[in-house]
Amino acid sequence: MKFPLWSNRAFVLALVFLGSVPVYVICVMAFATMPGTVSVGYAPEQPVPFSHRLHAGDLGLDCRYCHNTVEESAHAAVPPTHTCMNCHTNIRNDSPLLAPIRESYETGEPVEWNRVHDLPDYAYFNHSAHVTRGIGCASCHGRIDTMEVVTQQEPLSMGWCLDCHREPEQHLRPLDRITDMEWAPENQLEIGRRLRQEYNINPSTSCSTCHR
Amino acid sequence: MSSLSANDTDTHAQDNGNGPVAGKTYWRSLEELEQTPEFAEMLRREFPDDDPQKLPPFTRRRFLQLMGASVALAGTTGCWRAEKILPFANRPEGRIPGNADYYATGFEIGGVVRGVVATSHDGRPTKIEGNPNHPMSLGATDAQTQGVVLELYDPDRSKKVMKRSGDALTESSWDAFNAELETLREELRADRGAGLAVLSGATSSPTLRAQRDRLKTRYPQATWYEYEAVQRDNERAGVRAAFGSALRPQYDLSGIERLLTLDDDLFVNHPAGLRLSREFADARRPEEGRTPRSYAVESNFSRTGATADHRLPVRSSEIGAFVAALGRAIASKPAFSSKPGHAAFTSGAAPSVAGERAQKFLDAVAEDLATHPGTCLVTVGAKQPADVHEAVHRLNALLGNVGKTVSYIEDPRGDAPAGTQEISDLVAAMKGGRVKTLFILGGNPVYDAPGDSGFAEALGSVGRSIHIGLFVDETARRSAWHLPRTHSLEEWGDGIAWDGTWTVCQPLIQPLYEGKAASEVLAILSSDDVVTSYELVRRTFRERFGADGFSAKWRRAVHDGVVADSAPTTTAPSPTNASSLLASARGKSVGGAAQGLEVTFNACNAVFDGRFANNGWLQELPDFMTKLAWDNAAIVAPETAKATGARTGQIARIEIHGKSIELPVYEMPGHAPDSVTLTLGYGRKHAGGIGGSVEQGVDPVGCDVNPIRHIGAMEIATGAKMSGTGGKKTLALTQDHHAIDKIGLKGIDDRLGALYREGTLEEFKEHPDFAQHVVHVPPLKSLWSDFTYEGHKWGMTIDLDKCNGCDACVISCQAENNIPIVGQENVAKGREMHWLRIDRYFSGDPETPEVVGQPVTCAHCELAPCEQVCPVAATVHSDEGLNDMIYNRCVGTRYCANNCPYKVRRFNYFNYHKNLKDRSNDSIKMVFNPEVTVRNRGVMEKCTFCVQRIQGAKINAKNNRRPLEDGEIRTACQEACPTQAITFGDLNNEDSRVRKFAESDRSYAMLAELNIKPRLMYLAKIRNPNPTLEPASHGHGHGHDSHGGHDDHGHDHAADDHGSHG
Repeated sequence: MKFPLWSNRAFVLALVFLGSVPVYVICVMAFATMPGTVSVGYAPEQPVPFSHRLHAGDLGLDCRYCHNTVEESAHAAVPPTHTCMNCHTNIRNDSPLLAPIRESYETGEPVEWNRVHDLPDYAYFNHSAHVTRGIGCASCHGRIDTMEVVTQQEPLSMGWCLDCHREPEQHLRPLDRITDMEWAPENQLEIGRRLRQEYNINPSTSCSTCHR
Repeated sequence: MSSLSANDTDTHAQDNGNGPVAGKTYWRSLEELEQTPEFAEMLRREFPDDDPQKLPPFTRRRFLQLMGASVALAGTTGCWRAEKILPFANRPEGRIPGNADYYATGFEIGGVVRGVVATSHDGRPTKIEGNPNHPMSLGATDAQTQGVVLELYDPDRSKKVMKRSGDALTESSWDAFNAELETLREELRADRGAGLAVLSGATSSPTLRAQRDRLKTRYPQATWYEYEAVQRDNERAGVRAAFGSALRPQYDLSGIERLLTLDDDLFVNHPAGLRLSREFADARRPEEGRTPRSYAVESNFSRTGATADHRLPVRSSEIGAFVAALGRAIASKPAFSSKPGHAAFTSGAAPSVAGERAQKFLDAVAEDLATHPGTCLVTVGAKQPADVHEAVHRLNALLGNVGKTVSYIEDPRGDAPAGTQEISDLVAAMKGGRVKTLFILGGNPVYDAPGDSGFAEALGSVGRSIHIGLFVDETARRSAWHLPRTHSLEEWGDGIAWDGTWTVCQPLIQPLYEGKAASEVLAILSSDDVVTSYELVRRTFRERFGADGFSAKWRRAVHDGVVADSAPTTTAPSPTNASSLLASARGKSVGGAAQGLEVTFNACNAVFDGRFANNGWLQELPDFMTKLAWDNAAIVAPETAKATGARTGQIARIEIHGKSIELPVYEMPGHAPDSVTLTLGYGRKHAGGIGGSVEQGVDPVGCDVNPIRHIGAMEIATGAKMSGTGGKKTLALTQDHHAIDKIGLKGIDDRLGALYREGTLEEFKEHPDFAQHVVHVPPLKSLWSDFTYEGHKWGMTIDLDKCNGCDACVISCQAENNIPIVGQENVAKGREMHWLRIDRYFSGDPETPEVVGQPVTCAHCELAPCEQVCPVAATVHSDEGLNDMIYNRCVGTRYCANNCPYKVRRFNYFNYHKNLKDRSNDSIKMVFNPEVTVRNRGVMEKCTFCVQRIQGAKINAKNNRRPLEDGEIRTACQEACPTQAITFGDLNNEDSRVRKFAESDRSYAMLAELNIKPRLMYLAKIRNPNPTLEPASHGHGHGHDSHGGHDDHGHDHAADDHGSHG
């Protein structure tokens, strides 16, 4: 019995194919975990060039002045137009940049903001469960107070979530420092361990904690 | 050792090969019991109705048109889309985006309002629960109430004003209608309303009734009619005959000891059913050594009949004769011979009772009732004639029950005449040309008026017919104008509950379309000075409760949904004198030879009189007794089916009054012979894309039985003929699903007695823990190491003693968890998606079987067989004992479903949400619960113990730095349950109710012998049979006396802590 002639070529092709499989897998994995793929650095343009650096940084507004549902709801809701107009009725009330805000205020139609931090719909993140338990805004959102345009800083991937659920002491901070953008103690681990005890923080890593 | 000693499945399974050796023999269906060829064929094919030749064409997969696609999940796993955030321009005070709000409201069916609390997510109502403040709800709901929220978002709802031009309705506008109305008002003013008629559904709304009076004042010649296809006119007439005034009976089952229901589905099909269910369940206290004893005498097998301790099948037309015989038996007893009112029962000739069984039953009931004066109750179903009602109320008075188990209030609808009379009068007026303008306020009389009323034809002779309704239905299509009506969740309204409680119904959402409330249209018609439903309802409220402190009273009423203590006080009237009773029963005997077939018409437990025909949740709900979904059938006794030659699934022709219908037969064991039960509400031709629509090319679901309904005999008709036509129809029956093959079936049969455990009160007193000794297993060791639960340990108990099979939990679960509907063809294939099902088993003699029902859902086993076979870890154990299902990991191997002993896992064979991207289905997206993922094709799903509610409550408690309280988390099924049979909570909490139940004597775990450690425990049912009536065959053990005792035989009880000994 003899192999047909084409089997020589087929054998080489098969080898090439088999050899390329791990390369392919590695490439896919690498691409899937690249910061760009997981949207780190995503900074869409907004209808109004709202500057967090100005409001939260220079002016020192507390995050919760605008995102006032963050301690009660899953969502740290984007503020209603009326919140903007609390100040902007008097300040820069003729700025062309604020035209969409004034229009919304007059018509009652919402301003269409672009979502920056977007989790998959099968993941149920709850802001209130984190900010009332010692996780600061900056832990996930980065130094918002320095951002002219809000940019996604962290991958928001499941592995990233689990890192903190397994070792919350890396990020825990006192409850009066939640919105403090500059909080960066030398002895984070020490503080974190103490707070973990004190607040009785035992994050679950079960699937149904986030997926329902 | 008594008959209650241990029963060992290991040994008895081999004993004789005929299932359980002693105790009851349970069976799931007649087909299975008799091993019919059809059943054998179903077994052979592995999957029911899975013949590729018979696969329906794609277009028939109607569900795809219905529930729409998931924007959330479909296709988003692979690609990512930029999203917008649209905040409020001006956020209402107190509104927190993402958090649900709860509003008390109500809606009306058949002239009785139901109090509910609607859940609103970001402004859209997504779920209906009962209103705990409402005395007729006590926090519970029924299945139909749960379905109301789907009706709101039904894409087939009427959206525009329509006007007839030629044969078709064409789009018009409110402006055009208002112009028409202007002309009409001119005419009406001129001739004082002559020629104007209004046909309304039965309504208790004080606002609508005030508007009726206003209209009559303004246009004295105008006429007002009310009609409902399903009503309680006979009861009203009977009570009036017994007491001489318009009264409404109010039952009180809290201290009940003996209950007799006559042709009455008291717990499910009664306007006070939710409250009565609760009271009856609360009265069942086997732990305290007492439980009421209930008897049912009825033709069709009702759910109330299924919960009864003794049941006698009697034709509906012979219930009167039964009452006469029973009354005579009681009145003849010495204790009653001096009581007023006894003579009416003993005068005249004695009705005959044929058959030893019926006589024995009657004697036992008579004796039992007579010895419990004041703590017993006799109730009779709405479809029985008025004189039977009258006799029953007199009998209750004779038994001393009035003022105790039954009292009366003034009938809130006392001035309304009988509906059937009204529709005849209206048709006569229409035919006589006396009606020039007809307003039809809701209702669908063209469909649901009896066949011989001639309403549909007469409607053509009305010059200006105006229909106001939620749908462009059969009546709309025959009318000159159709006006879209607002849904009860879109309008202000009010109503009176069964006990007279004033209920305020507030809207949850702005009208989705151009609808107006019926009250608003009436206001325009009568040139009222206020024209919004809000102002109209407030005005009525002010007139009733006074202007003093109006604002506070109104706000309180809107907030609570009810006006506290607005129910009239109950009275205990004395019956008038009567010389003879039950004229309609004369010459009839109980259980004698039948003179032809009788036909009874019943409201459907799901789609009611047809108003919910386009509601997919309700259409797909398998009826508790028949397990039939998406269809109605002629329900008959097996012997009647045999005599007529049409068996289950075969088409029969039923002929009466010269009219006939054809529909499939369903053989119901325990049905009265020579009696046919027909279900109203099916065969709609213009219901919509679910219930049937000629325009959309959707066949009607089921068969319309109204054509053979006769105006003189709306509920019970005699002299019918039934014959087989030779045709066949595949019925979507769910009970025999998961039958595998002969071996598997034998396994199921052998186990049935161990799956459902019940005993009698006497047995329970003697051996309180009998339920734990039904199955004995050797000490169980696991290959896997046991989980430890340091925090919470979630568990559930279901009290089978309380459950009455009302199906509210099934629909509540569907609404809460975004469960799709799959359509009739797929249900027939065993692909229904319900996470919670209610298994129904018969036991005993097929002629007079007992029936039990058992809700089954995921037991969240500690050693879950599903978890062990999943190749991708898509189903894993949580640290709180939940058996998590992770949809985005699932690859759809279905190994888990195969390995699940309870068969509670459900697979998405298709993308049931596919068409959500279709703009016409936009509205249906709004019904989804945003807290639960919408699942895609190819994904397994199952009960999660409402993990979204668990997480929500946990987060709330932790945010507020307080421990989670017992009872804070209520699963959707638990919340809906009228009997509070379902308890959920933390098994690690020593004080929790669920732990108390799980450790109680009656507690057992189904299939614990498989060493799966289920977290769902059942509490055994305790019957209280009458010793003089032979109990069917109670007892649970086969008395294997070889065991010396329970504690030293080296076997473990399945429910015990494994490995503790042995």
